[in-house]
Amino acid sequence: MTVSEVKVVTGPLADPTGSTRDDCAVIALKHVTREYAGHGGVVRALGDATFSIVAGEWVAITGPSGSGKSTLVNLIGCLDRPTAGELKIDNVDTASMSATELDRFRADKIGFIFQQFHLIPYLSALENVMLAQYFHSMTDEAEARAALVRVGLGDRVSHVPSELSGGEQQRVCIARALINNPPILLADEPTGNLDAANQKIVAELLQDLHRNGHTIVMVTHDPEMAGLAQRRIALSHGQVFCHPVSGPMVTLRRSTDRL
Amino acid sequence: MFFRLLMESFRRQRRRKMLAGVAILLGTTAVTAMLALATTIGDRIHKELAVYGANIVVYPKADLLDVKVGGVDLKPASGGAYLKESELAKLKTIFWGNNITGVSPELPALMAIARKAGDPLIAVNAVGYWFDHDFNTFKTGAPTLHPWWRLEGSWPIPRSNPDSRSVVVGTNLAKKLGLKIGDTFVTQGTQSAPSSRLTAIVAGIVTTGGEEDNEILLTLHDAQAYVGANDAVRRVEVSARTKPEDAFARVDPDSLSPKQREIWYCRPYANSIAYQIREAIPGAQAEQVRRVEQSEGNVLKRISGLMWLISAAALLAAGFAVSAAMATAILERRGEIGLMRSLGASKGSIALLFYAEAGLLALIAGTIGYLLGSGLAAWLGARIFAGDGVAAEAVLIPVLLPVVVALALVVAIAGSSPSIRTALRMDPSTILREDA
Ligand SMILES: Nc1ncnc2c1ncn2[C@@H]1O[C@H](COP(=O)(O)OP(=O)(O)O)[C@@H](O)[C@H]1O
Ligand SMILES: [Mg+2]
Repeated sequence: MTVSEVKVVTGPLADPTGSTRDDCAVIALKHVTREYAGHGGVVRALGDATFSIVAGEWVAITGPSGSGKSTLVNLIGCLDRPTAGELKIDNVDTASMSATELDRFRADKIGFIFQQFHLIPYLSALENVMLAQYFHSMTDEAEARAALVRVGLGDRVSHVPSELSGGEQQRVCIARALINNPPILLADEPTGNLDAANQKIVAELLQDLHRNGHTIVMVTHDPEMAGLAQRRIALSHGQVFCHPVSGPMVTLRRSTDRL
Repeated sequence: MFFRLLMESFRRQRRRKMLAGVAILLGTTAVTAMLALATTIGDRIHKELAVYGANIVVYPKADLLDVKVGGVDLKPASGGAYLKESELAKLKTIFWGNNITGVSPELPALMAIARKAGDPLIAVNAVGYWFDHDFNTFKTGAPTLHPWWRLEGSWPIPRSNPDSRSVVVGTNLAKKLGLKIGDTFVTQGTQSAPSSRLTAIVAGIVTTGGEEDNEILLTLHDAQAYVGANDAVRRVEVSARTKPEDAFARVDPDSLSPKQREIWYCRPYANSIAYQIREAIPGAQAEQVRRVEQSEGNVLKRISGLMWLISAAALLAAGFAVSAAMATAILERRGEIGLMRSLGASKGSIALLFYAEAGLLALIAGTIGYLLGSGLAAWLGARIFAGDGVAAEAVLIPVLLPVVVALALVVAIAGSSPSIRTALRMDPSTILREDA
């Protein structure tokens, strides 16, 4: 059952003014395909994906290894472009944007949380957060410090990544993803490298962010983590199985409060 | 943040940066040494080549029909006109007067001598010269223009006793007459009084490999007194620093437009200097001595060509070494590039960071290279032009610093450009995926 055959199910979210779920979609895919030209011919990492995610929604993407989860996340994060199909973020067709516009768009709209954290090894926790500010606009040390306090690392600001535990590194990564207050958070297996205790901390942080109105797209293998999301999109061999919204949306519009 | 990022990342990957830095350092060292030598080599080669004699010869205009250009055959003293010794001071006043490095007037005479009173007289050529004459700011004379002359003893001493003269005897003549330093012999008193006699004291014996080996060398004043022509000079050799001859140097200045003539006049061609000498000294004909002048120009051209080649090769090699070192250095950091792209950094801002790092390396390596190269130039200069008295610090040429650092920057940026561009072309999602 692929999405091309099944109409995307809309939740009980259509508001009284009559606007549909698609109208308030912050992420909308239509027949999105991503193929890679490999050595042994063309690999279809993602095939004909059609679904949408509304603002403030928390979506878990699940599926076996190699099913195209990262490919999907990278497409949504504008790090990659679809081979075919239409991808709209915040109602802007990404295909219409130049590479430079896409960079700008990514800085403004997307916060990435990686399984491998991807912290710059020679910069302190604080500087790693400030790096995101630097590429976005201007650095603001007080704000970066506040973000680290927010993820519980107020006393570790001057430590370099090698002096931090995995859980602490992931929290720096989350602080960095949030520092420019992007509407969309993309987390590719955020707890994949963490123990249960740290997974709990990260899960709580994500719940908190969700309450504050961030749209979260999270790849996970962990059923417990997936259970926190409102909706699950399952992938298999690059094909999307869309699950209906599992519960009422807490909010459609994220708060404008900064972290 | 930019500088923090730059400084922190600059301190990373020391081995690779050291490699690239050393390549730039060696390249700029070579270039500095070559450039420093090239700028001083003109003077130095001129000094070396001055060994081959004067590059301008001045003689009376009246001789034009008789004397070949640069000819060494001297006419009998009685024939032809003279230049005035007192007018040679005017050489200092010409436009390129400061380029004149040596002046040697000559006055030849035919003299009768005998080993001792009563012996039969023999006729020898005698020539009066300056030996250590105070001319403007320097001392000059026949020895400075003929540095290959080898003297035993001393040059003639200006006469204090009117009855004797101090002379230097050519080595062959000395052998023939059995003369040694300190010996005396008898010479004709003056040309106009053939029977008068003077005692000559041998101050030194000279070996030149030329006519002088059979001649008597005496002070210009003694020669003038002997000939009976005060202030007279038969021929003047002039050594001047000149610009190598080119087509424009050979044009007839009187055929040029006033503006062109002005340009010609204000270039230190041997021809222009000769022209200015003709203007300054009435009745003088001045010609450049071509052979020497051209070989000097050719040697200079060949040497500077070689230096450019070495410099270009050194920089090219440095560029390749930087390129190789940067290729691995940047490949190792592609994860950082992927992360920066995910944060929304444009390719330009990331490139700027890496180029700034290469630039900083070039700045440091280039400056050290400049200092090392200056030292190398001083050392090379001392070895190649041993003992010509050019001080080592003359090689530390400040204007070269920006030139050399700019070259280092070009090499570093050009060398790292391919790997930076390759890294930025890589797909960030692929980088982030593989960097597990
Ligand atoms: N750059 C690439 N070139 C070729 N094949 C790729 C590339 N990226 C991903 N793939 C392939 O696409 C498929 C999906 O990969 P991915 O999205 O990373 O899966 P997941 O994250 O679900 O494990 C895999 O078969 C993978 O080999
Ligand atoms: Mg993956």
